[in-house]
Amino acid sequence: MKTVAWMEDLDKALGEARNQDKPLFLDFFNPG
Amino acid sequence: MDAVTYPTQSVIEHIEKHSIPVRIPFDAPLAREFVVKWTPNLLFVDTERALHHRIIGFLPPEELNPAILLGVGKVFFDHGDLDRALGTLNHVVEKHPASHAAPEAVYFRGVSQYKKTHSGEPLKRAYEKLKAAYPESEWTKRAAPYRLL
Repeated sequence: MKTVAWMEDLDKALGEARNQDKPLFLDFFNPG
Repeated sequence: MDAVTYPTQSVIEHIEKHSIPVRIPFDAPLAREFVVKWTPNLLFVDTERALHHRIIGFLPPEELNPAILLGVGKVFFDHGDLDRALGTLNHVVEKHPASHAAPEAVYFRGVSQYKKTHSGEPLKRAYEKLKAAYPESEWTKRAAPYRLL
């Protein structure tokens, strides 16, 4: 089942956000 | 969200086109930084880690897509990137008029246009649109003073 290609490391994601000039979408979830 | 909303193709496309998606367990140390006390808790954050919009609770695909655009639009708005803000907010208003995000998008679209033109007319038009299309929305009440412009 395809789903969103989530990143898990916020610092890496921040770098990607700067490179792509996009905001971050953070999903805080309950892993159960 | 995992069972219904995230596997939906349009949601995947919206999230990946407009943002960098990150998943964080609610009990991770970052939850304290972003004051997360309940899940689902969806945040729109800029590259300086500043929070601009928050969504709490489950949303089905037809509501999450416009909610994502609203959140992205508010990041642009807060940064003064008014053209990009208007692009995303217009999309919410025109393509998802029945969504819960639409009234807030109408409000911030009017404010963005005001900031670009320094004319009160867009604020008045935003109120009139809200009154006509979303009379029970809290955003109609928030825009009510603009009827006098």
